[in-house]
Amino acid sequence: MTGTPLVDQIRRRLVEAGYRDLRTPLRVAGVDFEFTAAMQGSQGRGLDLVVLIDTTTGAHGDREGDRIRQRIEGLSRALDVTGSRLVVTAILAGAAPAGNVDALSEICRVLRVEPFEHGRDASGTTAPEQIADRIRILLPLSIPDADSAGDAGSALEQLRRALPKGGDARVVDAVLEASREGAAAVTTAVAGVLDGELDRASDANLAPGDGE
Amino acid sequence: MKNPVLRSVDVTNFRSVRGHVHAPLDAQVVLVHGENGAGKTSLLAAIELALTGAVASLRRADPTYAPQLLHRSAVSGEVVATVGADEDGDRRHHATLTAEGIVAGSALPRELAAFFGERSYLPQSLLNQLLQIYQESSSGADSPLARFVGELLGIDRFDAIETGLAPLQDVRNLRKVVDRWQVVELERDRADRLAQDERNTLAGIDEGIDTAKAILGRALAVLELAIKTDEAPDAIDAALAGLQQEDGLERLTDRRRQLGSIRRELADAPAAAAGPIRDAADAIAAYSRWESANGQALEAVRRRVAELLPDSAMPPEIPRFADEAARALASLNTRSSAAAAHARQDAARLAEAEAELDAEKVRLKSIEDEIALLPSRAAGLASALADISAYIESETCPVCERDYGEVGRGPLAGHVHDRVRTLSTSADRLLALGRTRGDASAATSRLAGETDLLRARAVKAEELATLDRQAVDSQSLLAELAAMAPELAEGGRLRAAEIAARRADGDRARREASLVASRQTVAAFAAAAGLTTDEELEPIQAIDRIEKALAGEAERLERRLSARRQAHDALTAIRAGVRRRDEIVAVAAGQEAIANRARDALRRAEALRTQGRALRDTVDRVRSAIIRREFNERLNRLWRDLFVRLAPGEPFVPAFRIPTTVTRGLQPKLVTAHREGGYAGGTPGAMLSAGNLNTAALTLFIALHLSVPRKLPWLILDDPVQSMDDVHIAQFAALLRTLSKEHGRQVVVAVHDRQLFDYLRLELSPAFPGDSLITLELTRGPRLDTRCLHRRLSFQEEMLLAAA
Repeated sequence: MTGTPLVDQIRRRLVEAGYRDLRTPLRVAGVDFEFTAAMQGSQGRGLDLVVLIDTTTGAHGDREGDRIRQRIEGLSRALDVTGSRLVVTAILAGAAPAGNVDALSEICRVLRVEPFEHGRDASGTTAPEQIADRIRILLPLSIPDADSAGDAGSALEQLRRALPKGGDARVVDAVLEASREGAAAVTTAVAGVLDGELDRASDANLAPGDGE
Repeated sequence: MKNPVLRSVDVTNFRSVRGHVHAPLDAQVVLVHGENGAGKTSLLAAIELALTGAVASLRRADPTYAPQLLHRSAVSGEVVATVGADEDGDRRHHATLTAEGIVAGSALPRELAAFFGERSYLPQSLLNQLLQIYQESSSGADSPLARFVGELLGIDRFDAIETGLAPLQDVRNLRKVVDRWQVVELERDRADRLAQDERNTLAGIDEGIDTAKAILGRALAVLELAIKTDEAPDAIDAALAGLQQEDGLERLTDRRRQLGSIRRELADAPAAAAGPIRDAADAIAAYSRWESANGQALEAVRRRVAELLPDSAMPPEIPRFADEAARALASLNTRSSAAAAHARQDAARLAEAEAELDAEKVRLKSIEDEIALLPSRAAGLASALADISAYIESETCPVCERDYGEVGRGPLAGHVHDRVRTLSTSADRLLALGRTRGDASAATSRLAGETDLLRARAVKAEELATLDRQAVDSQSLLAELAAMAPELAEGGRLRAAEIAARRADGDRARREASLVASRQTVAAFAAAAGLTTDEELEPIQAIDRIEKALAGEAERLERRLSARRQAHDALTAIRAGVRRRDEIVAVAAGQEAIANRARDALRRAEALRTQGRALRDTVDRVRSAIIRREFNERLNRLWRDLFVRLAPGEPFVPAFRIPTTVTRGLQPKLVTAHREGGYAGGTPGAMLSAGNLNTAALTLFIALHLSVPRKLPWLILDDPVQSMDDVHIAQFAALLRTLSKEHGRQVVVAVHDRQLFDYLRLELSPAFPGDSLITLELTRGPRLDTRCLHRRLSFQEEMLLAAA
């Protein structure tokens, strides 16, 4: 495969992600479609058909939006004719092509990878991450490992565990129960517990033998 | 429960679902489509209700939402969700509905139910809330983000706890919410103060008791009682009662008074004792001698005086008789002489006055005679003529109209004028005569009165002779008295001396009798006082000694009496003090007990308060820990990845930042970061377009779902694409596919847009053997019953490019 460094980078990234190259021109329903490159996903992405369009060199009339659109429309129709479930993604690599490219997004998924001004290294390649961001939807999603603390149970359970041990359960129980009803209920609940404790004292005041 | 799978949901008369609907869900992807109001949301909410026993989004909006869950045309309803898992068979979770609300249910375990509500199910309300978070950039505790974070992490109740426990921090606020706190505090302070007051009073009383005991001690010493002051007051009282009474004091006082008067008597006696006894006889003899020498002369003078002054009684004492007789005789002499002289004067005047009277009578007679000669009305006639003269114009008289010329004595006017003049002169003379006659008449009557008076007053010749004799007699008697004056004075003196001598004699006799009695009394007193009467001793000295003895005894008795009184008073004071002390000690003890109880109650309440505060601190700590754990870099990375997938052209990405400076009420902050690194500043609401905000909200939910261990690998999204443009929808479809196919999430998505539904159906088609897709289309039947058409799509080998 030959192409610009940008197209090559995209291709390499997709290959890493499990895509395989298809032979170009792409032949569907007996019709050849010329693309800089065509790739297909595997497994869960087996229905992804990716076509790469190099708008920099402009081979196959790739510098003109209308011609790109016509070609992809043809491909789409051919796929429909054959009853295929393949989903087309077009990657426009390089400078923005002339003409109406927005209309293209009504036919297929369009991803644009522009040459990057920044991060270009001495060899003229762009930062791999920046390219990856542009075609991120085609790449596998890596989920970082969740730490075990995430499995700490509900917030209230964590709270209960974090409380100092050996205390009077009345306050905690009343407050946690009332917290469902809001702040005012919490205040009322804790005030009720305190009042109850203080009341216990004043009850003692009224005990027999204390009649002043 | 490993790899749980939602198998199916059955919905009967729930919310907008009328009748019964069965919806199979056992595929990797379930696409739900229906027009607005067809029941998509109800179907998804039914899953939530069956699994969690509640519809959280409705509950947040209205806590009394439960009765509204039943379809309004029905009387009962039910939702059933069937969940399968690797290790065991299907489980049926359901909830039954009546008009009253949710009556029965068997939900997932609490932890899983919480996970489902927080991280698996994205109802539209939550999505709207997420959007709101971006639009409102505030970061306070009430901000939408804070609420979302609170609800998502289940720490909204933490906020309630923290706010609700805030009054515990400050005791002033505490007093406001805990009614009894201040009451008990006041109770404690009041009791403390009262107890302190009582103790202060006690100190005063103790002092009083000590003073009384000191007084008692001194009194007991005086009384020579060997009893301690600390003994019981009753015992001391008994000891005092045993002492003999000191009743002799009155008798002593009486005796001392008697002695005092005797002493005074004795002191007076010596001065009067000597002298007059000898003089008395002399005085009597001297007077007798004088009497015999001058007695007769004096008697003669007395007799003559009595004759001359028969009306006045002369005093018998000689000097006074001499004085008074002299004064009376002088008076008589003056009176008689004056009367005689006056009588002679009157007689002379009478003679003169009679002569004058005769002269005046003659003068009066002559005046009267002259007046009789003068015309009495001369003045009136003169005046009339003067008036008439004004009418005289010729010689013809204006009165008689006769011609005066006929008379031939000059003119008429001149005649009348002469007449007037003559008449006027007579009038003047008459006036002068009248005045003289008045004077003469007055003199005549005065002299007549005088002569009458003098005649009446005239003294007879015999009387005049008597007066002259009296004058002479009194004069001679006076001379005699004057000659006798020295003898009379001597006689008077001698008489007085004689009388004094006689009186002194009597006095002395009486005093001597009294002295004898006094001596006897003194002797008796001395015997009584235990003193031997020394015959040699002068009575005064004896009295001194007796008095001294008596005074000593009296003093002793006084002292004992006073001591006894003091002892009684002190005992009374001690008794009262002790009684009062006992009372106060009891009261103080009572108040201290109250104060201690209040203190104890406050201590226990304080312990509870401390626990409350500890709880509040723990809440804050745990919340901070949870927030720090949840909103970490991993979440940001995941979120960024998801966001970039959906918005590859957006240079900014949203992120959470945890403030490092906040120590309390920690809340994550929403910021935007530049995709290439570094914070761009500003909130996502300010930096992102509306479509990208929706994307941000959606990806945040998915990121939160993915950032924790997957307890339930389900993602249920209710119409998640509201304003995403076509580009985003294509990317969103790809994202759903990624989640489903690569990460094993069972995805249930409801959409109302037909085109989107078709697109998603294509994009999410089964891509490999075992992959599956179910589409559910909700419509209304002919009788408005809800109907659910379901189709199951399975994998078909894509042959088109196989050759390539």
